[in-house]
Amino acid sequence: MRPVIAGIVTALVLCAAVYTGSRGLRSFDSALVPYAVASVFLAFGIAYRYTVWISSPGARRLFRKGWGAALSWRNLRRAPTALPRMIATYLGFQKFLGARSRARWAAHQLLFWGCLLAAAITFPLVWGWFTFTSDTGAGPTYTMNVWGFGVLRFDALSILGWLLFHGLDIAAVLVIAGATYFLVRRMRDREASTGQRFGYDFVPLLALIVISVTGLLLTFSSTLLHGGGYEFLAVLHMAAVVLTLLYLPFGKFFHIVQRPAAVGMQLFKYTGAGQVQPCRVCGEPIDTAEYVDNLRATMRDLDLRFDAMALTCPRCKRLQRGQAYRTEVKRGF
Amino acid sequence: MTIPLDPTITPPGTSRFRDAGGVPADRWRAVRGEETLVATHCCFCGVQCGMYLRVHDGKVFGVEPRDHDINRMRLCPKGLNAYQQVNHPDRLTAPLLRRSRTDDLRPVSWEQALDHAADQIQRVQAAYGRDAFGMLGGASLFSEKTYLVGKFARVALRTRHVDYNGRLCMVSAAGANKLSFGIDRAANPFADILLTDCLLIAGSNVGECFPVMTQYLWGARDRGATLIVVDPRETSIARTADIHVALRPGTDSAFFSSVLHVVVTEGLADEAYVAAHATGWEEVRQAAAEYPPERAAQICGIPAAQITEVARMFATAPKAMAWHARGIEHHTQGVENCLTVINLCVATGNLGRPGAGYGTITGQGNGQGGREHGQKSDMLPGGRSISDPVHRAQVARIWGIDEADLPQAGTSMMEMVHQMGRGEIRGLLGICNNPFVSLPNYAVVKAGYDALDFHAQCDFFLSETSANAHLVLPVTTWAEDDGVMANAEARVVRHRKAQEPLPGVRTDTWVMCELARRLGVGDKFAFTGSEQVFEELRVASRGTVNDYYGITYARLDETGGISWPCPTVDHPGTPRLFEDGQTWHADKKIHMQAVRWHPPADPYDDEYPMTLTTGRTVAHFLSGNQTRRLGGLVEQTPRPWVEVHPSHGYASGDPVTVVTRRGAATFPALVTDAIRPDTVFVPYHWPYPVAANELTIDALDPRSKIPEYKVCACRIQPAAHVTAVPAPPVPPGHESYAATQVSRGDQHPPTSSQGRGTSEP
Amino acid sequence: MMGRTIIIDPGRCIGCQACVSACRECDSHRGKSMIHLDYLDAGHSVASMPTVCMHCEDPLAPCAQVCPAEAILVTPDGVVHDADKSRCIGCGNCVNACPMGVPKIDLKAKLQFKCNLCYDRTSYGLAPMCATVCPTGSIFYGTVEELRAERPNVAVASTFDFGGNLLTTGVAMVVPADRGDVPVPGGVGQPAGPTPGPQPFGSVPTSADNVLGEPL
Repeated sequence: MRPVIAGIVTALVLCAAVYTGSRGLRSFDSALVPYAVASVFLAFGIAYRYTVWISSPGARRLFRKGWGAALSWRNLRRAPTALPRMIATYLGFQKFLGARSRARWAAHQLLFWGCLLAAAITFPLVWGWFTFTSDTGAGPTYTMNVWGFGVLRFDALSILGWLLFHGLDIAAVLVIAGATYFLVRRMRDREASTGQRFGYDFVPLLALIVISVTGLLLTFSSTLLHGGGYEFLAVLHMAAVVLTLLYLPFGKFFHIVQRPAAVGMQLFKYTGAGQVQPCRVCGEPIDTAEYVDNLRATMRDLDLRFDAMALTCPRCKRLQRGQAYRTEVKRGF
Repeated sequence: MTIPLDPTITPPGTSRFRDAGGVPADRWRAVRGEETLVATHCCFCGVQCGMYLRVHDGKVFGVEPRDHDINRMRLCPKGLNAYQQVNHPDRLTAPLLRRSRTDDLRPVSWEQALDHAADQIQRVQAAYGRDAFGMLGGASLFSEKTYLVGKFARVALRTRHVDYNGRLCMVSAAGANKLSFGIDRAANPFADILLTDCLLIAGSNVGECFPVMTQYLWGARDRGATLIVVDPRETSIARTADIHVALRPGTDSAFFSSVLHVVVTEGLADEAYVAAHATGWEEVRQAAAEYPPERAAQICGIPAAQITEVARMFATAPKAMAWHARGIEHHTQGVENCLTVINLCVATGNLGRPGAGYGTITGQGNGQGGREHGQKSDMLPGGRSISDPVHRAQVARIWGIDEADLPQAGTSMMEMVHQMGRGEIRGLLGICNNPFVSLPNYAVVKAGYDALDFHAQCDFFLSETSANAHLVLPVTTWAEDDGVMANAEARVVRHRKAQEPLPGVRTDTWVMCELARRLGVGDKFAFTGSEQVFEELRVASRGTVNDYYGITYARLDETGGISWPCPTVDHPGTPRLFEDGQTWHADKKIHMQAVRWHPPADPYDDEYPMTLTTGRTVAHFLSGNQTRRLGGLVEQTPRPWVEVHPSHGYASGDPVTVVTRRGAATFPALVTDAIRPDTVFVPYHWPYPVAANELTIDALDPRSKIPEYKVCACRIQPAAHVTAVPAPPVPPGHESYAATQVSRGDQHPPTSSQGRGTSEP
Repeated sequence: MMGRTIIIDPGRCIGCQACVSACRECDSHRGKSMIHLDYLDAGHSVASMPTVCMHCEDPLAPCAQVCPAEAILVTPDGVVHDADKSRCIGCGNCVNACPMGVPKIDLKAKLQFKCNLCYDRTSYGLAPMCATVCPTGSIFYGTVEELRAERPNVAVASTFDFGGNLLTTGVAMVVPADRGDVPVPGGVGQPAGPTPGPQPFGSVPTSADNVLGEPL
């Protein structure tokens, strides 16, 4: 029940924000209604899925500890730059992906920045938060308005103007490049293809490519074909976007929402009392004391009653098990 | 106070992946569908496991298990990593030359290199006589190449001084086999082990040196067989054996004579079999009677009751089998040791039946095939004797030369080194060996090689020996050429070329043929490839004991390998010998040989009271020139150690110096109950200054001329610090592939003799 | 227990580490070895034991249960997979919750790795790399019937006893045929010394591999 309530509340909040941001729907573009509706469902979905996610013991504890550490006044005072730096390296530049593979890091960066750019442009437009107005009605000088306030005047024929009007095309190119790399990898690389599932692994990539290609074709149609096929392409594009948004909370894309937990995990592990838990057998450090306590509590929540074994390091666990086998089962052949 | 951006703590060992030291030579690749599998065999030990090499775009990049009936898909860590040699950055790709040892080796063209070699050969031979130029081969070469080494020495160099590194490996068993049976090979295939009721393994750390053979041992035990292991160390097979005889090194023949004595006195001998098939039984029985268990127990340092127990277990088993390896062969009485094992098998009638018999486990991939076709100083192709006028005439006719031009028998490998030191041998061509690590008494070996006027060495990695040479010729790995090898069962198996040789690299066959052409006998060496050589080898072995005539490449491709003798192309081969009770002696009898034990060559005294024994570890092979460059194996076992018993008061990791009359070397101690208190063990795969063979004695068995690696007198003493392991040699201006060498600087001994556990620091 | 599964017999293990090298050759994680090989009796004998993922069935995959990122998938065939690369945040919960000591972790990559039963092979009916190459059959892949056809005198057990808490696994251990239906000890013996509590950072000796960044 709680996830549903969270979803409804979030969806209502978004509706209110759209209503307010579009000045009571005055700057709302009715052609974009299906997108706006999809975004409301997306808000519902994400909140619903997020609540389901953090209701499992492991995630719930990390949610509390992570956000607690991130929003802690003490941490902010002690290391004011830690949180922004972590957000930049973990979530923006995704340094950890470089440690997995440089090519994958590069491709993922293309995908990431492409999607981010597209989202930053489209969602405000859809919600009527951004509008472009022209005093003459047909340019070339336009005013960009945010929440109805004019913030920028620019010439549509200038470089800035070109960039503003073609931001989505740039995003599409970035996304196509990144997604194609991953698609090829999924088809060629045995590491990626082991255990891969169509719905989980291929659909997100195909969706991104379809959205980007149809988006580019829309530009192509309007600039070179004088709008030929525009209607059809627009419907196709819209269908792809809407379905992708609805799918987002329930498939691979949900990692976008989950990934910030890495920041919380890191902060909570290393901002405690500065103590480490040594292995109770060999004395080598296992992890910080806060982390081990948290893990043991999680295991108890889950009724995994061997939680005290978390005080033994993995190597000593194996050695003890092997030694017990030798003394109690058989020593030799 | 800073909060670390990167996570800092994991439990010990959890972030170690044994990743072979970063990306291997040809990069990790796991691409679907774009590869071919080349069916071949491993390049390493005498088991000759089948394997597939994975080839993409003309390059070997991986390995895949192969269901060959020798190994049934199983592989050991050496075999699994073997493929990484092929495209390794340390590979030699241009001939290297220097005029004097004070210069650096510099790359030259093949024309220059070969012309220079031919000039030097002719100069040395003109000045000092033909025999002043020697040649040393190896038993990791394909049989075709071992045949060519012998032919090249006798026909192109026309020198009597040719020998091979099997002299350090197989010759004691070969000598004993020849004396007893007139044929030199294991009597039974591996598969017979599964049928036996009692298996005796003498002087072989099967679990480490022949890991894949262990499945036959365990398979026999699953079917109820008992296992007896004779080894001074509690190895992984000895650990669980029914009886582990931890005797003092160098006392094997006393032990086996005593076992035979118990067999006789308890009436367990198969007198009927012996009477029907053997000669010399009376003398053997009398010699064994000199070793009652009480006396042997004293010599061997074991309980007398254990000897009786072994005798009863072996002799009362309906089918018993004995296999041995270097542990009893590397002695000044190596041949005698092997003879006592043969005597035991014969006396109990355990020969020539499924599950009953005798075998020796060859250490090198072609340890069996390499000794058959003429690279041994006293032998000609087909196991012929170079001293036998009939054999000489046969071979002279096959080779199309005058018998008078065929040199006489030469000397053994270690003796040749002594001759180099004395200036009797002035020039040397080495192929497929690394004596600077593998020969005993390093100081003498180095001095001998340093005295050479001209030394050329063929290698695919720059070995410690070739780094000291005047001329280094870059040749192929096993995966870049076709050929055959004969494994420990005398089964001839086919190795297939998986990729073209690297640019600048030539086959050993091409090198020998080109040199022969420059020496004026090109017509005798007009070979374009291995199969042509094999055709000549077949003919040259026709009608001999080691008859390969019925074996062809086509037949090998159709089968999983054929055991010689195989006289005709429709003959199925001979996996098991002596089934009709007949041997290859003229009288068809087994010639039992009386043996009396004598102490090892290096005497014990107050200064050197302990025994040093040497051997292998599972992750490395022979002189280590190959395996010390493979990251996964270096990670498993980065360095040598000295294994000592806790009674000496050391802790694991303490620096301990082992001192013998020939030298001293310092290693970290691996303190373990699994070794006799009076014995220390050092693995021999590493070069000076961490070489076991700085310490070993160059005393030879008078018959087989095998050095006594397995026992010499020593003492141990504490040291200040352990000696660092040198990097594998590479040509000047290069660096050995760093990613594979990360753990080489480790100061700790491994956790166990098989290496470091995967989570060890 | 799964139909065809890995069955481990530490008594046959010769510690050669062929499994370790073979694991590295598995295409689903080529270049990284996931298997553990431990020498159990250092200083006394060469006894050793390989450890692959035991694919816990009851309680089902503790590693997956404690994962805060829903990164560990258990497929209907009982295989507990390695972490989903898009989800794993590298927290190490699975590493320390696993009572068998199986998962490994690459902190820089924020990624867990563990044995996935060579899913690229087993999902096509082939044996995993380690069991394929194991020279001794210490790591066996097949059904219990296939095992007993080769080794008449053995039984298998797939329940472990961790100080009174039972855990049933998909991977089994070989036990003597006459041992009866008794769980295999999981080994939670008392440590030799007093159990240390949390220690200030820096006061604990560390082996080289478990400190990567600067201390707190």
